[in-house]
Amino acid sequence: MPTTEIRLQRYRPEQDNAPHWQDFRVEYDDSTSVLDALEQIKAEQDSSVSYRWSCRMAICGSCGVMVDGVPKLGCKTFLRDYPKGLTLAPLSHFPIEKDLIVDMSRFLAHLSAIKPYLIAEAAPKGKPYRQTPAQLARYKQFSNCINCGLCYSACPQFGLKPDFLGPAAIALAHRYNLDSRDQGKSERMAQLNSDNGVWGCTFVGYCSTVCPKGVDPAAAVNQGKIASTLDGVIQWFKPGKETSK
Amino acid sequence: MSRKPYQPPMPASWWLKHPAYRFYMLREATVLPLLFFIGSLLYGLYALGQGEASWLQYQAWLQQPWVLALNGLALLASLFHAWTFFVLFPQVMPLRLGSRTLPAWLMVSAQWAGVLLVILALWWLLGGLDAHQ
Repeated sequence: MPTTEIRLQRYRPEQDNAPHWQDFRVEYDDSTSVLDALEQIKAEQDSSVSYRWSCRMAICGSCGVMVDGVPKLGCKTFLRDYPKGLTLAPLSHFPIEKDLIVDMSRFLAHLSAIKPYLIAEAAPKGKPYRQTPAQLARYKQFSNCINCGLCYSACPQFGLKPDFLGPAAIALAHRYNLDSRDQGKSERMAQLNSDNGVWGCTFVGYCSTVCPKGVDPAAAVNQGKIASTLDGVIQWFKPGKETSK
Repeated sequence: MSRKPYQPPMPASWWLKHPAYRFYMLREATVLPLLFFIGSLLYGLYALGQGEASWLQYQAWLQQPWVLALNGLALLASLFHAWTFFVLFPQVMPLRLGSRTLPAWLMVSAQWAGVLLVILALWWLLGGLDAHQ
């Protein structure tokens, strides 16, 4: 079996004040993923190596890492594509807890801030809330997010200004705002209209490039700018009401 | 056990790290030659208000090689910026006909067709002026 070099960024909070690199050599074949390689390292070489994982099939969004400086899912990235070896580091822009594990609480706070759930009156008792395929098509793409955080690692605005709501949270807000069953748009607009909302984005667009599920958060954020502008104009013409900014 | 999270720094050189960031900075930097072009236009308006001598001086200034070069760069920069803008447009404003979204290539082509129309209209207009002189 061929082997390759993995350069792993280590940070052990008990011993280290800053991250450092450690080299490992792993065996691989055509089906070996980055996550498989990490399991090999932990099982056979250094049991203290720490990383997150769960489903191994690009659904849970747990195993995001920087592979050669690019945010990727460990389970969906294969060593066969890196014959000269690769570097692994924790997702950029997040505080590092240990080795490849980052603290995502800021991202999760941003997610919950935009009320990512249907805000609607209940459907008539005993009846389903009907939606046509065309109504579903309006938001379906934005509902495929698995909250892996790769887009936050790709977004320099989030790195520079951690209070920026960020790609996934805004995409999810957009998803619910576009849902024909939802009536909560006015409750989300205050967040989206703020400087840390859609206007914090400068359309670098790299978030959409790295998204493993084709959500295209950059499209959602920038469609959100149009929604925010319309909301501002509408609020402006409403007599005796404060803008939702 | 107490936690000790490490916050990685975000150096001013962050945009040098990846081709996607360098491309973004290049797109944003197109404003610099365009600033020069706008300055040239404002100078022209001012010269026009000052009378004929000033206007002729402005025309001579325009024809200097470095001014021509910078304005040429501004033209290239605006075309490049237009290209990036046109490509991003279908992402920002997807147009729907019934339940279908117009394909991105059609929207991008339509925008370039618009540019071509404006160029042709200007060419015709300026050519028309020449014919009357």
